[in-house]
Amino acid sequence: MKKILAFALIVLLLGPTLFAAGQAEKKTGYEIVVVPKDASNPWFVRMKVGVDEYAKETGLNVYQRGTAQIDATLQAQLVQDLIAQGVDAICVVPVDLESLEPVLGQARDAGIVVIAHEGADLENVDYDIEAFSNAGYGAFIMDNLAEAMGGEGLYTTMVASLTNGSHNEWANAGVAHQKATYPKMKLLEQEPRVESNDNGDVAYNVAKELFKKYPNLKGVMGTSSYDAPGVARAIQELGLVDKAFTSGTGMPLDNAELLESGVVKSLTLWDPALAGKAMISLAVKVLDGEEITEPVDLGVEGYTNMMFRKGSSTVLEGEGWIVINADNVYDFGF
Amino acid sequence: MSESLLETVGIYKSFVGVQALKNVSFSMQPGEIHCLAGENGSGKSTLIKVISGVYTPDAGHIEFQGKQYKKISPIDAINNGIQVIYQDFSVFPNLTVMENLAFNNELAEGRRLVNWKRMKSIAEEALSKINVSIDLDAYVGTLSVAEKQMIAISRALMQDARLIIMDEPTTALTKKEVTNLFEIITQLKAQGIATLFVSHKLNEVFEISERFTILRSGEVVASGATSDLDDRKFSFYMTGREFEKRNFKAENVSKNPIFRAEKAGLSNHFSDISFSLRQGEIIGITGLLDSGRTELALSMFGVRPIDKGTFFVDEKPVSIRSPRDAINYDIGYVPEDRLSEGLFLSQSIADNIVISKIDQLTKKAGVLDKEQRSKEVARWVENLAIATPDANNASQTLSGGNQQRIVLAKWLACNPRILVMNGPTVGVDIGSKHDIHGILHDLAKNGIGIIIFSDDLPEVIENCSRILVMKNGTIVTELSPENTDEKMILSYML
Amino acid sequence: MDTTRTLLKKLSRRNEPYIFLVLLALCLLIEFRSGQFFSSNNLVDIASALIVPGLFAIGTFLVIISGGIDVSFPALASLSMYATTKYLLDINYQGGVWAAILMALVIGALLGAFNGLFIGYFKLPALIVTLGSSSVFKGIMQGALNSKQLTIIPSGMRNWGTSAIFTARNPVSGLTSRMPVAFIAFVIVLLFVFFILKYTMFGRGIYAIGGSEVSAHRAGFNVVRTKVVMYIMVGMIASLAGVIRACMMQQAHPTNMLGMEMNIIAGVVLGGTAITGGRGTLLGCMLGTLLIVIVENSMILLGIPTSYRSVFTGAMIIIGTGISAYQVMHMNKTHSKRTKSKEAA
Repeated sequence: MKKILAFALIVLLLGPTLFAAGQAEKKTGYEIVVVPKDASNPWFVRMKVGVDEYAKETGLNVYQRGTAQIDATLQAQLVQDLIAQGVDAICVVPVDLESLEPVLGQARDAGIVVIAHEGADLENVDYDIEAFSNAGYGAFIMDNLAEAMGGEGLYTTMVASLTNGSHNEWANAGVAHQKATYPKMKLLEQEPRVESNDNGDVAYNVAKELFKKYPNLKGVMGTSSYDAPGVARAIQELGLVDKAFTSGTGMPLDNAELLESGVVKSLTLWDPALAGKAMISLAVKVLDGEEITEPVDLGVEGYTNMMFRKGSSTVLEGEGWIVINADNVYDFGF
Repeated sequence: MSESLLETVGIYKSFVGVQALKNVSFSMQPGEIHCLAGENGSGKSTLIKVISGVYTPDAGHIEFQGKQYKKISPIDAINNGIQVIYQDFSVFPNLTVMENLAFNNELAEGRRLVNWKRMKSIAEEALSKINVSIDLDAYVGTLSVAEKQMIAISRALMQDARLIIMDEPTTALTKKEVTNLFEIITQLKAQGIATLFVSHKLNEVFEISERFTILRSGEVVASGATSDLDDRKFSFYMTGREFEKRNFKAENVSKNPIFRAEKAGLSNHFSDISFSLRQGEIIGITGLLDSGRTELALSMFGVRPIDKGTFFVDEKPVSIRSPRDAINYDIGYVPEDRLSEGLFLSQSIADNIVISKIDQLTKKAGVLDKEQRSKEVARWVENLAIATPDANNASQTLSGGNQQRIVLAKWLACNPRILVMNGPTVGVDIGSKHDIHGILHDLAKNGIGIIIFSDDLPEVIENCSRILVMKNGTIVTELSPENTDEKMILSYML
Repeated sequence: MDTTRTLLKKLSRRNEPYIFLVLLALCLLIEFRSGQFFSSNNLVDIASALIVPGLFAIGTFLVIISGGIDVSFPALASLSMYATTKYLLDINYQGGVWAAILMALVIGALLGAFNGLFIGYFKLPALIVTLGSSSVFKGIMQGALNSKQLTIIPSGMRNWGTSAIFTARNPVSGLTSRMPVAFIAFVIVLLFVFFILKYTMFGRGIYAIGGSEVSAHRAGFNVVRTKVVMYIMVGMIASLAGVIRACMMQQAHPTNMLGMEMNIIAGVVLGGTAITGGRGTLLGCMLGTLLIVIVENSMILLGIPTSYRSVFTGAMIIIGTGISAYQVMHMNKTHSKRTKSKEAA
């Protein structure tokens, strides 16, 4: 019994590493590798589309390699393998900052350029690329909501939880943007911010309650990717289509039906394909020895006017948000 | 021999090297009330389990109504009309009386659906068999112990019982409830149902049974008609020891009392109590349950402080408001219910012994002095002959007699000068009882003043130098054991 | 007259009336704060929000009555729901919802048997087993099934999830709420389990085992079989809840049911089910669950600030459990006092 258990454990531990190994490629020009959180998540499959496109366009030896599942340890191992392989640059979307930090330190010591995405707090990197500033994205969601609401009416904001950092920054920025730009809109004072717990069912039930208690409520600004879709279901069931509106982060294919039926006019997102391209483009710049000064133009849509985050000399923020609506919902493959 | 109901022939049974039963043969006639007696560990429970089919004997066989069984399964046993009433009664406290009564029957008939009407009629029929009335809709958990027992008995009768085995049925019953139970057993006899009654209480054996079998160390040491049995024989069969009567004689009695009560009273319980205790004396205080004796014992230990009169220690008036006060005046107390009041059952024997003098075993820094502790423990385990392989075992691994010795050791470790013993040998087997009495005699000789509160009259007569009888909260007389007997004491008590 | 009095007396010793009063007080408070509680569409909303927690509560109730505890049902439900949805998507199933329900029931029975085997047959502690099986179920989902949110579900499930028995329309606000057809499934399970518990020896056996396993064995109940069959049933009920949840949400989310176990268990215990087993009624269990569902879904109507919502839920659980527990304790005390005085006399 014990032996079987031990064997099972070993298989469990080794299995994923075996899968992750393999595929070495020829070296021509720069060898730049993009390491996503994992290989199978549609989000990173989409990122690979951008990476492959870039390789085709430039002819550089650029490719994406990910682990079979999201796992901080496996990701760190993968990066170590890449160091041993002697690549020129590593572009990484970190799973866990703490476990990756020392490995990235080794990479830089080995003279490898390290570019991160969505890892603003990493220290051992040349640069970190963020698709946008939190303030910019919040304002962008608000623009979408305001457009749907016709620029007037009562609205409120929804976040996963009151303790979630970026969601609340987006919501705050959205509210600030409304005050500055849409004077006819008004934040619901009694319930200025509600929680969805990152759960579509909670978002749905909370929205139902909101519309019951506040008949004048006309819009809900969502932040987490469960918010707007959940609210949209409530709008649909309560018979409020075209009377109440919602917008916020959302995945295209997941919400195709909502967008096409017009319950939701538009959702907001950033495109991982573009982020992948931008990372590589920046890596090439660094490898070429170009000086990186504001505003940075990476030649990728939404990443042409990048600025350093306030007080940081490594974190670059773009304007890489996109609108998803009935017209482009099938363009992304996720 | 005429057609006997049950016969066991040469039963052997051992468990991992321990021979629990050796060549046990005994028999019962239909309708007979038979008492199976023996000290703890004598093999009574094993024998019951062999008869009811829970254990398979290693050798020997069982005959039931003339049919021979090499081994009997629990189902066979039930189908043959053997029913066991366990000490926990096997009831469901969360269900109603009705369900408790009817389940066995329904299951035995292999029913899958519940018909509440039929269950009700089954339950009513069951209770009518022993002429008791209990609310069928009451939850069994809310019933008294005696009522639960009635349910277990009537349930057993529903399955055409020929033999009912009762495992220590009187342990948790009051005097009156025991009388009721005995009446029911007699009724069953009239219906031709035999009862095998497991007990180690002498008076019960005499009161109820026609025949008896006594086991010791897994062997039958005596079997026969109860009328042939007497006190001395019973004790001998049970323990294998002859006990000479050792009536206590006080020696080296001090001139001045070490403890004295003057017109002590506790409202609603006792009043105007005056007596004195000298060093070297054992005095007995007896009376009925409601005579106030228990409360008086508790007052002496400060659990229920007196509200009238005065206690004196060494002729100085003292105020005993809490057990801590009592301990400060060198008063020790051995409680009646050692399980809930006197022992931490799950803790080790050693810890139980040293608990009340833990302060003295602690070094300056508040650390327990381990060496001192083990010395102290070894001393008492030896002095009181506590039968344990290791003093670090949990106290609940011991028999009642040995547990009582630990309680004693615990108090003696504090060197008390006055020892209050409330029912010193309740639930203790004969051998241990004898030993504990011996210990008390020795203590008195060494200058400790002892008060025994007890309604076990032979105990009081044998072990005390003076006997005080309480009735309705006052002391009605003082007797000398030399010229008194049980009848005389009873006449003052009632 | 006399019968009413004994009835009242009996009722006062039970826990349901008190939990019902707490529930009523809460409803009135919500009505007072929002004016919306007793509107037809809100009541339908509550009923529809009750379906999934209600089914979970029925399963949990069975387990607790038998003297066990189950913390694996959200993972179990997620796994069978997810496996079912994924398989039907893979084979491009176009038929009705029945295939989904049947398949989930079969998977649920297997997973339930897994729990039952370890708890009933190997006699391992239920808490440990279900903590373990919960991890195993989650692991299978994440590892073998590579789970991620499935936002497209088979059309049969989709249509069933949005079909309504009726639609309630609030005449004032014009808001409409659907009473999902799934509610019928919930009612059927409820009646079925009620029947099992009240009118079958199997059901009474669950109570008996919860009261005293040794006694149940001695009385002739097949303790092992009863437990195994019960855990299979519980697995099936939980899986049904999982499928209903996916249908109603129009998506199969592998993790968003996880973590529900605590509030479900709280609701069952709140309804007067003894956590030690053997005691409790299905009615009480439903009242307790309803209380939790209403509290969770009326925070905005009540106007509790977002940051205090979990405090409020916790407080409601403590107050509700406290009141009913206190009343029952009080009743039992006076009862036992009465018995004692009877003995003395």
